[in-house]
Amino acid sequence: MSVYVGRITEVCLDSLGKLQVRIACPSGAIPGAGQYLRAWVPGDEQQALPLCLFPAEMQENGFLAAPPAPANWLPGMRLQLYGPLGAGFHIAPGVRRLALAAFGETPSRLLPLIPIALAQQADVTLFSELNPALLPPSVEVSSLNDLPEAIRWADFLALDITPQILPTLRQRLGLKANEPLSLKAQALVNAVMPCAGVAECGVCAIPARRGWKLACLDGPVFDLADLEW
Amino acid sequence: MSKYDLSFQPPLMNAAGTLGFAPGRRAALDWTQFGAFITNPISLEPRAPAQERNCLTFPGGFLLRTGFPNPGLRQVLRRYALRWARSPLSVIVHLLVQRSEDLPWQVRLLEAAEGVTGVELGLPPDVDPETAQSWVSAAAGELPLIVRVPMERALALAPVVMDAGAAAVSLGAPRGALSAPNGKFQEGRLYGPAVFPLALHTARRLSQMKLPVIGAGGVYHPAQVEAMLAAGAIAVQLDAVLWRGGLPSPENPLR
Repeated sequence: MSVYVGRITEVCLDSLGKLQVRIACPSGAIPGAGQYLRAWVPGDEQQALPLCLFPAEMQENGFLAAPPAPANWLPGMRLQLYGPLGAGFHIAPGVRRLALAAFGETPSRLLPLIPIALAQQADVTLFSELNPALLPPSVEVSSLNDLPEAIRWADFLALDITPQILPTLRQRLGLKANEPLSLKAQALVNAVMPCAGVAECGVCAIPARRGWKLACLDGPVFDLADLEW
Repeated sequence: MSKYDLSFQPPLMNAAGTLGFAPGRRAALDWTQFGAFITNPISLEPRAPAQERNCLTFPGGFLLRTGFPNPGLRQVLRRYALRWARSPLSVIVHLLVQRSEDLPWQVRLLEAAEGVTGVELGLPPDVDPETAQSWVSAAAGELPLIVRVPMERALALAPVVMDAGAAAVSLGAPRGALSAPNGKFQEGRLYGPAVFPLALHTARRLSQMKLPVIGAGGVYHPAQVEAMLAAGAIAVQLDAVLWRGGLPSPENPLR
């Protein structure tokens, strides 16, 4: 990880009406799926905290950041970028049926997994109540209520959840108490990360099988088997 | 900073809780700008994160509630003592007080740790002056003792802790409350540029009382460091600005 300078090249609304930005930056700065960058506008003292930027779509010379973006970010602005940070998703080459499940306010953070999965001829279904535009036609979209069936079909489950969802996840997946999940699953835990790993401040602490894990340092993508849920 | 006095060159350091337990590369900072490193708050026993941990933003700042999670002093010493010993910076260990009777031997443990050149004692926000005095007396040892007093009660507590043997006081983040998205009130520590005028006022008043004060709170710009020093602070602690790369400088205006 290193310090980079990026530039906002486009500010747009996603299909759900949320503000997002496209950022031009060196290729080394582009986060992998599920990773993030610590970002701030130099000299903007009104933004007391850096922002954690996740990719929604990668390009050769930058990336589209998952929403939401600050309302005062404008095209042409320079950004200080630090990263890429954290553990991202890892989809094994043998995965053939990928289920994506987005419980948050946007499915965008899961979208970078789609080209990876399609490149290895995997079938992809996105489970979300929010339907993003411009998905590849081969990607099916389904309701989160269908997740219990999906985990019988899929061989890999990638989740985008908040820490508050974790205690209800077993029920949402249609699992009985103590019933094990029969497929490999990873979860991007979308916790507030004010220090982005610099201070180990603990705000993003997630209950784990053994103690606590910090989303900023140990995640934000975890093997679901390592978490307490 | 030498082992037994409190002069910082440069007169800049981090505030406890902003850069972890040992100087490292994660913050991408120029360490030559710092006269000392302050560890995260450390309790005698391990502490879990606060049940209602949160970070809520408001114009000009944010409210933070963490519970100061840490693995406890013994575990911290096991994990970080070697890094403190090798650190080019003086390391000041921030202790969270739990019981007065534990303080003397906690301080003795730190006196034996190479690289540790001071102790900062964090007082809880609701501490009364008599209790503060007894804790400071209990923590007095060979190492210079900085006492972090709650900013909003600094004028009352600082003279008491100085009389009890502190070498200087530092200013803890003021506390506030916000309404969280779930409608509940959330209390916590306040950070960000909006805190600076209160911090400067407090540092100035303490300095006028001839008390050695390390200014802290809302410092986001070199001019604010200068203002703190001009107000009489012996040094300045930086907090959340360190999470965005530190102070801007002519060499690095991109911070």
